[in-house]
Amino acid sequence: MADEDRQQRVAGQKTEVWERPRRRRTLNTDENVEVPEPSYAWMPRSLQWETRVKPGKAGLRIGDLNVGIYGEIPDHWDEPTRMPRGAYPLAGIPPLGFALKNKRDMWADNAADLYEEAIQRRWIAATDIPWDTIQPLPDDVEAAMCQLCTELSQAANVEFETIGYWLQHMSYGYHEVKLFLATNMFDAGRHHEAFRKRALSNGGGLGLESRGEINRMILESKGGWSETSLFLHLLRGTFLLTVYRHCERFANNPAEKVLFARAMQDKARHVAYGIQHLRYSVTHQQDKALIFQRLLFIGERVFTKELQDPAMLEPLAIVFGGGIEGARAGMGHVKRMMADWLTAYTSACEWIGIERAAPLSPDLAKYLED
Amino acid sequence: MTSLKDNFNGIQEYADDQGLDLGWIDRQGEWGVKASADGAKGLTLNDTQIGSYGDPPDESDNMTGKPRGAAARPNAYRIGGYQVRTKSDIWLTNASMLYEEALQRQWSSATDIPWQAIKPLPDDIERAQCQLATFLTEVEFVAADIPGRWVASTTPDYFEPRMFLITQIMDESRHLDVFRKRALANGGGLMQRPDINVTTSGVVGSIDLSRDFTEMSSRLHISGEGAVLTIFRMGELMAYNDAEKRIYRLAAQDESRHVAFGVMHMRYLAETEPDRKEEIHEYLDEGERSLVSGSQNPAARDSAQSESLSILLGGGQKNFDEGYRKLLAIRKRQAKEYVQRIRSAGFGERFENGRANPELMEYVRS
Repeated sequence: MADEDRQQRVAGQKTEVWERPRRRRTLNTDENVEVPEPSYAWMPRSLQWETRVKPGKAGLRIGDLNVGIYGEIPDHWDEPTRMPRGAYPLAGIPPLGFALKNKRDMWADNAADLYEEAIQRRWIAATDIPWDTIQPLPDDVEAAMCQLCTELSQAANVEFETIGYWLQHMSYGYHEVKLFLATNMFDAGRHHEAFRKRALSNGGGLGLESRGEINRMILESKGGWSETSLFLHLLRGTFLLTVYRHCERFANNPAEKVLFARAMQDKARHVAYGIQHLRYSVTHQQDKALIFQRLLFIGERVFTKELQDPAMLEPLAIVFGGGIEGARAGMGHVKRMMADWLTAYTSACEWIGIERAAPLSPDLAKYLED
Repeated sequence: MTSLKDNFNGIQEYADDQGLDLGWIDRQGEWGVKASADGAKGLTLNDTQIGSYGDPPDESDNMTGKPRGAAARPNAYRIGGYQVRTKSDIWLTNASMLYEEALQRQWSSATDIPWQAIKPLPDDIERAQCQLATFLTEVEFVAADIPGRWVASTTPDYFEPRMFLITQIMDESRHLDVFRKRALANGGGLMQRPDINVTTSGVVGSIDLSRDFTEMSSRLHISGEGAVLTIFRMGELMAYNDAEKRIYRLAAQDESRHVAFGVMHMRYLAETEPDRKEEIHEYLDEGERSLVSGSQNPAARDSAQSESLSILLGGGQKNFDEGYRKLLAIRKRQAKEYVQRIRSAGFGERFENGRANPELMEYVRS
């Protein structure tokens, strides 16, 4: 009902156009310029006046602004322009054509808080990583770390390319989500940069580019933002979060420790948005859980195929094992890492409301069996 | 030359015992690279521009999303679909530096603005401030949506400008956010959204619809953000408390980086692709028309924004004429700064050969 009220209110107002002042007069300046007689037509035009949001202990946060009509977040946003939510509409503005107009297509209740958190927890790869603590490593460990960083840098690249594509399609009625995703892009850019810097800072170099199975799945997911978020945040996001966590534990030096710890903090926010959004999507659309279930069935198999590429898990085994000689023990830890990931991933699926129609593929399930 | 794999030959047998394939271990980009941090600036992108890693190609055939300098896989999927694969289409010489500067100068609208310094204002002043804030809330995120699209469609071989554009997306998010906060923080509210806007609405010649990066950049970075930058720099004149002063100051700092990006890109294009100069002049013709009469420039005539600016600059509705005089001074300054930027970008001939917009030139000469 509130949504209908809002739409009626906006539609009712959207009859006025901005008319330029016609009367002119001469202003007594050096140039005797002609000036318009001000119309002041805009002065009474506000849908809600006398709004006074006060800063709290954490400052003035974007979520604090959601008071009165400014906090009415409609289920459907039919305004095809960039008009801010709650602004006084004008008639006759040529549309831009945003593809995503429904709250269920992008919304997450935590987006506003995550946006502010991302800003508070920003970091700088150039100066917040103690690069001078990196010391030469054995060739095998350095090669493994460089291969790992190449993969992670490319994954981050896919992340910001993906969000960059979708951002322009999201309606302005849901600016909290657009703002949060801008921080997600910003974080991903920093990860792309930071992992590249690590690969180039210790006598190594970049390794082999990604095979691209998972990247392809994410980039080619054009059916809707929710479906993209399913692959980007839920499937790959939880995986990367787990990889960062384990790499932080096995860091060779303080620089790597800080790098992975910071990346982990960022990734946790991205995943938090993703699973909150996917839950919102599932609870507001009847068949979404089934769609997600089917997509994940495919996605998990794509994931499995890529994980069979030696360049994916072998570098981790060497890093965790402290070299090729320790790779057997390292691979044991990789298996524990995979089990951690699958536990987190399946728990998230359950929380979102995605029931499993089929068990995990045998190549993934084996990690949980050990 | 000894390869990395040669070094591992001695332990290959051991690797076999470990069940490792190691097929990837000798497939690297340039090896033996050791970038060092440069004192207080830390490890910057410039520090990592070593050997082949610092050498972007003039034409990129990278369609797989391969990080520049990484080893290619023959069987990688061609998933990039990148539209921008010619260096001169997006390049500039100092993107890395602007990127690092952007990171160092990030700020928080929640905690870096002294919101408690805002006190109740006379109704006409508050309404004018809210009208201007509403305009800026709407237009600032244009410069986030559109760069996002271009980031996604530019080859990773030109990652430096892409990285800068990502910082711009972050900056513009903060601008949307801070002006919305200002509108709702002092007993006012959002007001009338901007009228049809040639640069930000769905009409030909707009930032949104540009199909070439330089066309888009000339409108977004040079005309649009350049005009707004002048206004932010004059923020002291229209601010009524320390919170507003700080908003304008910090926003101006961000905006000046974005304008610098546009100027430096156009300069690179002018130097490397002189055949495109005439085409760029066409975009500048359109941009100048918008600058003097379009409503994307808040200081342009006859808009809700120009009226609100006059009230703010004059100190109230009763001093509208005084405010309008100051607004004229801002328009002159906008015009002069624009001319300076275009000259710096290598397109100054338009001011000598009569091509520049006559109304714009009147402001410059006055």
